[in-house]
Order: sequence, then structure tokens, then C-alpha cells
Amino acid sequence: MKDFMMIFIGADYQELGLSPEQLQDRMGKWFSWNDKMGEQGILKGGNALIPIAKRVSGPNRTITDGPFVEGKELVGGYYIVSAENADAVVKIAEDYPDYDLGGIVEIREIMVFDQ
Amino acid sequence: MEHKVVDHLFRHQYGKMVAILSQFFGLSNIETIEDAVQDTFIKATLQWRKGIPENPEAWLTKVAKNRTIDLLRKIQAKKNQLEKITSGPTFIQINELFLDHEIEDSQLRMIFVACHPSLKPKEQIAFALKTISGFSSKEIAAALLIKEETIKKRLSRARKAIIKNNIQFDFPAAHEVQNRLDRVLEVIYLTFNEGFHSTNKTKLIREDLCGEAIRLSKLLLTKEKFRSGNLYALFAIMCFHASRLESKINSANEIVSIKEQDRSKWYFPLIKIGHNAMNKAMEYDDISIYHYEAAIAAEHLKARTFEKTDWNKILTWYTKLYQLQPSAFTQLNMAIVNLQLNQFEATQQILDNIIIENLEQRKYLYYGCYAEYYAKKNATSLAIAYLDKAILKTQNNLEKDYLKKRKLELEII
Repeated sequence: MKDFMMIFIGADYQELGLSPEQLQDRMGKWFSWNDKMGEQGILKGGNALIPIAKRVSGPNRTITDGPFVEGKELVGGYYIVSAENADAVVKIAEDYPDYDLGGIVEIREIMVFDQ
Repeated sequence: MEHKVVDHLFRHQYGKMVAILSQFFGLSNIETIEDAVQDTFIKATLQWRKGIPENPEAWLTKVAKNRTIDLLRKIQAKKNQLEKITSGPTFIQINELFLDHEIEDSQLRMIFVACHPSLKPKEQIAFALKTISGFSSKEIAAALLIKEETIKKRLSRARKAIIKNNIQFDFPAAHEVQNRLDRVLEVIYLTFNEGFHSTNKTKLIREDLCGEAIRLSKLLLTKEKFRSGNLYALFAIMCFHASRLESKINSANEIVSIKEQDRSKWYFPLIKIGHNAMNKAMEYDDISIYHYEAAIAAEHLKARTFEKTDWNKILTWYTKLYQLQPSAFTQLNMAIVNLQLNQFEATQQILDNIIIENLEQRKYLYYGCYAEYYAKKNATSLAIAYLDKAILKTQNNLEKDYLKKRKLELEII
């Protein structure tokens, strides 16, 4: 088994102006996805990210405040799952709830460093 | 891990939190408060993925309060007015506001704010649905069949009116209560009717609007000073009508007329609550259109079959209703009842006296009634001609389908 990161891009609830009822509905969908992964014992961790960002760049450590990208390009969070291969993760990612809001899941294998 | 949140928790909590926070921060900050509450739900959808807090409501109110302070601080950073909120006696005070009876009290205040005379009637409904009931402008637009932009404008005008007129987050003065309460009941009844007669495809919206109207009147009934015959009667009508909500639309999303409704599907516990409310209404001296409308609804529910309906009694109630408040809709109903009684002359006389313009979007009912009149007199071609007129006048697809179906029936004859 290998570890993969599912990176969630776009579908910023704030920007989309969802109603309280819709937000609760979304949350329910995330819960059932989580539960499903939990039952299979494949979910190893993850976090949601606050959409406010700072960047440090250049030799002078210049600090810039976001936003750097539009909401639809913003990374909103990530999950780490363990799976046989990338295809298996694609299968898992089918249940991501926010495709209808324009959300994207990027799947990346986590590199294992040789001892 | 138990991943279950009470149905509609967010929507209901929206109204509660906006009311409580308005109590605390003042109505002039309503826009900031609504933003903060919205932010709180977004935060919850993200944060609760890792597990729902033990007391979700308390979590939400705490976060919303902090977010409001946060936003207000950003707005008024220079004035430095809000320092005191985070500590000391005021901090304790805001926690006390979250006790159940305080929440109810705040929501009641908000109902009176929504129905304040400085807001136009259409703004009142939009504002009430948003601020008290937690619907988004998009949802309100869908429920009322109005463009979202229009709803947004109404909401913004309502907020401006509140600030401009310095409306306080308070109950009206004793001598004003009755007047203001009348308007509150009207807004509640309108909300209910929008739900009950809604042509909206989604069952959810229909039930939600009706449910909200009933919830708000129940809330008013908790306070002795707001109880009246009117309020009990209004509550009764809504219970009576709501008991038929399930049987009004079939699984194919078609309208089922009261004649064809499966009466075993009517929800009797609600009818019983309605009757109790009517008995309560009788303990007061006031009499209103709500009393008569409740009596009419009760009469329909009493009949075991459509054929057993006591149309004479219903006609008596309609006549009294018309005497109290003449309206084209009541006239139309009286014509329909007379038709049921085969009183053709009376039917025609009433129909011809109606000023059709006053029926607004319901003009099709007038033509539909005339169609039935001719159908009963076996003048089928005239009946069909009137059905065509009715079909032309309705915007609503469900009604249109119903009328077309009726036309087909007549054509087969």
C-alpha cells in the first residue's frame, strides 16, 4: 500500500454564497464520504485550509498577502489516504461531494524516501 | 463517530443567531451580523468534518459571536469601542442571551422588526424569510417565483429602512401592539399561503414555508400578551390546511383536487391541534377573517367523502367572510360553492359581479369556474372554450396540466 494526497481545488463555499440549508446538505455529503473511508480504514489524515494566504519570496524574504489566485483555483484542503495505486484513489475520489460546484480533486502519490 | 446533525439545524440556527446577536450588537449592525453567521456555517462545514462538536448549537453561537466581534472590530478599529465586549460583565451577559427563553424572546422581537411599518409589505416578507427563517435570497426567489435580483433589492431596502428609521430591536409600545400584531399575522399567513399554493417543483420549499409560518405563530402563542382569537384562528387554519399537504400533490407531481384527494392520507393529529386552537379562539371576543376561513377549512375536513361535504354550511361561512371583508376571491369561492349546490343562477350572478382584474394571478380560476359551470349544464363546447381561456391565463405548469387534463376529459364526452 502507498500513501496518496487528494488535494481539493476550487468550490469555495464562501464565494459561492450557499444558503445555510445547502451548507448543511454539503456537510452531510462530506460526512458520508468520511464515514465510508473510515470504514475501509484508508483515511490517514487531512485538513481544511483557511482561504487567507501569505507568501514569502525572494532573497529579501518579501512578504505578500493573498489572494493570489481566484477562488476556483484555490486549494481548500487535502486528505491523505492509503491505497494500492493511483487508480484506486481515483475510485475513492469519485465520492468527493463538490464536483457540481466546479471543485477538482488532484491526486498525488506521497514520495517515500529511501533509507 | 456519529455523523448526524438535526435536519435544518443550520437554517433554524441562522434565525436564532441573527436574533440573539441583533439583541446584543443592535439592529444597525444587522448586515455584519448576517455575514458573521454565514461565515460561521462555512467554518462548521469545514471543521466538523473531523467530528461534530458535542453541542453543535453552542459551538455555532460561540463562533458566530466571536466572528461578529471580529468583523465589527475590523469595521470600527479606530473607534476602539468594542474592547469591552471580550471581557468583564458584558461577556457574561452575552452568554446569558443564549438561554432558550432569551432566544425565543429575541426571535419574537425580530418578527416585529420584520413587520415594522417603515418596511413595505413585500420587503417585510423577504426580510422575514431571510432573517428569521434563514432562507437565502436564491431560495426566497424560488419560493416566491420572483427573480433573485428583486429579492436582493428588497432585502437591501429593508436593511436601509431599519437603519434610516433607527428601528429598535424591541417590542412595539403597548398601544401599538394590536396594530403591529395584525400585520405580523398577515405576513405569517402570506408566507403560509406561498408555501401551500406554491407551484414550486420541490416539495421541500412548499413544506418549509408552511412549517416556518406554523413555527412563528407557535412562537407568538408562547407569550400571553400576543395571544388573541385571531392568532389562534390563524394557527388553526394553517394546521387544517397543512394536514392536507401530503395528499395535495401526487407522486407524479400533479395537483390533486380536494374532490380526488385520498382522505385517509390527511394528517389527523394536525387536524386535532387545529380544533383545539379553534376552541381557544372562541375564548376571546375578537372575530376575524381567520375565524371564518378556519371554519371553512374545518368543514371540508369534517366530510368523510367529497359528496358528504356540507356546502350549505360552507356557503354560510363564506357569506359571513364576505360581509366582514369583501374580496373577489371570496366571491369566486361563493360561486364555486353555489355550483356545487347546483344553484346555477346564483353562480352566474356572482361570477358576473366579480371584477376579474382583482383576481390578479388567479384569473384562471374564474375561467375555470365558468368552464365547470357550463360543463355541469352540459354545454361542453362552451366549457372547453372557457378552459382554453383558463389555460392561457395561468403561468403555472402544474395548474396548466391540471386544466389540460380536465379539457381532455370533456373532449372525450
